[in-house]
Amino acid sequence: MRADRINIPGIVTLLLVAAAWEASVRTGLVTFEYLPAPSAIAVAFAGIVRSGELLTNTAHTLRSVLIGWVLAGLIGGALGLIFGLSRFARRWFLASLEVLRPLPAIAFLPVALLLFSFSLTTELVVMIYASIWPMFINTMGGVSDVASRLHDVSLTLKLTRMQTLWKVLLPAAAPAIVVGARLCLGTTLVMAIIAEMIGNPHGLGYAVVSALMSIQPEQMFAYVLFIGVLAIALNYCLIVATRRLLPAYGREAANHV
Amino acid sequence: MFRRASFGLPPLRGLLPLLFLLVLWQAIDPKGSPYFPPPSAWWTGLAALARSGRLASALSATLTTFFLAIALACVIGGLAGLLIGRSRGARRALGPLLEFCRGLPPPVMVPVGVLLLGYVEGLKLVIVVLVAVWPILLNTASSTAALSDLLGEVSQTFRLGRFATLRKIVVPSAVPAFLVGVRGAVPLAIIITLLVEMLTSLPGIGSLIVISQRQFHSAEVYGLLVVVGLVGFVINGAFVMIEGMLLSRWPPRAGYVQGT
Amino acid sequence: MAGGMADKATQAEAAGGGNIYECDAISLELFPHGQRRLIIDQLSLDVRAGEFLTIVGSSGTGKSTLLRLLGGLMPASSGAIRFRGAAVTGAPSGVVVVFQDYSNALLQWRSVARNVALGIEGKLNRAEIDRRVRQSLQMVGLEKNAKDHPWQLSGGMQQRVQIARALALNPDVMLMDEPFGALDAMTKASLQDEVLQVHARTATSFVFITHDIEEAVYLGDRVVVLAGPPGRIHKIVEIALPRPRDQMRTRQSAEFLNYRAELHAAVLSAGGH
Repeated sequence: MRADRINIPGIVTLLLVAAAWEASVRTGLVTFEYLPAPSAIAVAFAGIVRSGELLTNTAHTLRSVLIGWVLAGLIGGALGLIFGLSRFARRWFLASLEVLRPLPAIAFLPVALLLFSFSLTTELVVMIYASIWPMFINTMGGVSDVASRLHDVSLTLKLTRMQTLWKVLLPAAAPAIVVGARLCLGTTLVMAIIAEMIGNPHGLGYAVVSALMSIQPEQMFAYVLFIGVLAIALNYCLIVATRRLLPAYGREAANHV
Repeated sequence: MFRRASFGLPPLRGLLPLLFLLVLWQAIDPKGSPYFPPPSAWWTGLAALARSGRLASALSATLTTFFLAIALACVIGGLAGLLIGRSRGARRALGPLLEFCRGLPPPVMVPVGVLLLGYVEGLKLVIVVLVAVWPILLNTASSTAALSDLLGEVSQTFRLGRFATLRKIVVPSAVPAFLVGVRGAVPLAIIITLLVEMLTSLPGIGSLIVISQRQFHSAEVYGLLVVVGLVGFVINGAFVMIEGMLLSRWPPRAGYVQGT
Repeated sequence: MAGGMADKATQAEAAGGGNIYECDAISLELFPHGQRRLIIDQLSLDVRAGEFLTIVGSSGTGKSTLLRLLGGLMPASSGAIRFRGAAVTGAPSGVVVVFQDYSNALLQWRSVARNVALGIEGKLNRAEIDRRVRQSLQMVGLEKNAKDHPWQLSGGMQQRVQIARALALNPDVMLMDEPFGALDAMTKASLQDEVLQVHARTATSFVFITHDIEEAVYLGDRVVVLAGPPGRIHKIVEIALPRPRDQMRTRQSAEFLNYRAELHAAVLSAGGH
């Protein structure tokens, strides 16, 4: 992802779009009643930074995302490992899971609301449920793929089961697991925001909806743009961390879309 | 990935745990508690909704939006993806914008859409299309961009000309990636459709669930959950089948662009 | 093989073997990352009508680039390339390139028959297209695979599909870029003989690039040894071995071994390995 040259056309386009946006709002060219100008958004952004509101909301969302990601990652990873290795598990349990998989997690929000009302628990439960899936599927795929291929290797080298697991299986399945972790992070963030919009009145998701309800377009857009940048930053951090921790896998693990 | 038994499912006996769970639930709690009503109560609740016609109208509203949105997203995303993929200038200029849109969590678009468009007729459709178009566009564009120089030389040596090259080489080679993009857009479209309905109470399954939840009709909520699950399962299965048919001519595992 | 092929053979004889390609001091420079690299340096070469010309040289001598210049896939930076007396601007009609990477050069979503038809569809009527496809597939021995898809076939068969695709145009010249480099020895041998048969039956001119000196001697009427970078002609050897050539007898003959030694020495002195 290193650019050989700075992407001048890209930067210019961004600036042109911002300028056109500003101009069209000021001159009334565009007839969206509530479209704020970039300058107004910038002012609002400064406002929520100064008031500490942005920090509080971001902290809440990030905390949820972190907890959710770690838990979903562990549960999904463990499940993926079990199902990847155990034909018994796949034969007797996988169909049940495959039937559940297409169920949009958002449909669980009302159920969670019934059980836990408007609370952090609601947010976490729905988030974790949704995020387990990408981690589970990718880990299972990666492990089962590797297990069949490297089975003969571990037999020849007379490795014990634990040795096989640590030295052969997990490292070989690492790229797939990393992909699962990235998707898991993305899903966690998305579900956190959805949950905050509907189920838990805290955090960035709630801030956006609340700005909508109180008709504060500048503030809403400020939050929206910030969320976009935050998502990109999180993903980028993960890519960098992957490159550091698993240098051997280089491009394959880090750059998979 | 695994031996597919029927309808793309792993061995069907794996359904037993789920069925067992449902039976157990039913057996433990025949009278029903407000929080964990047994499956029989779900059925009663759903039947009531069906009889009043609310279930059918909600289902039709949600499904109409979904299918229309996917169709539009395919057309727009496919065309735009091809155009952007073909033009290196467009890719560089639009790069940062596209990256931003790719990274932006889709639910955030819902309040934006509501704010800008207001509660107009096509609000739901516009928002879902806006969200679903990205995976299709981005995937198509990156596949088109990655079109090998070799195929370019092939079209040169056979003197194919611009339009023929587009029709015979560029478009067909982008089809697998396009379908992968659609596969990503389908669940996204379902989720966002439901989200819009939940947030705005526009007609649909989403608003129906929220209404039932607010009235503490938990049996209905669970029942509708099952409905949503079935709808999701059927749509997913249908898509896998269609994709399989369309891609039968391609080598296996086509459409996945390694690193971008 | 009725019709077009026989006419071409008599044409080539009547033309008395003039030059089908003339290259006068062609050079190619590229500018990767803003730096100037000279790929081919003032190279002059003629290709005689109907001959089988092979080109050898180690990596970096610009063999593939030369082929692409002949094929009109890229323009020379200076100098003139003439095909049948006319300057080459873009891919000349009557010239087809066969690439080394057969898997990516074929259209994986099209059947074998439709792949072979790629160069002629829209330019001929339906019946003629079908006839030529069938003929080309017969020439490479793949009539039974017309409905298969490339990815279902082995490497050697895919390369034959590419050759058939080129033959369907009844080309004057086939430019082949290390076409057998990725294949195993046995497949290679049988494909070499198939290409020689095509050459014998159709009087098409061949320009054939290879790493393999023995292949170059076995196939060629003349062998061009390139040196470089930048690419330039180091030596040209006329191969006076009798035709038709045979994998066993020809390759074991004394003359063959002499040519092989001569070319081996030439490649080494050109700075190669």
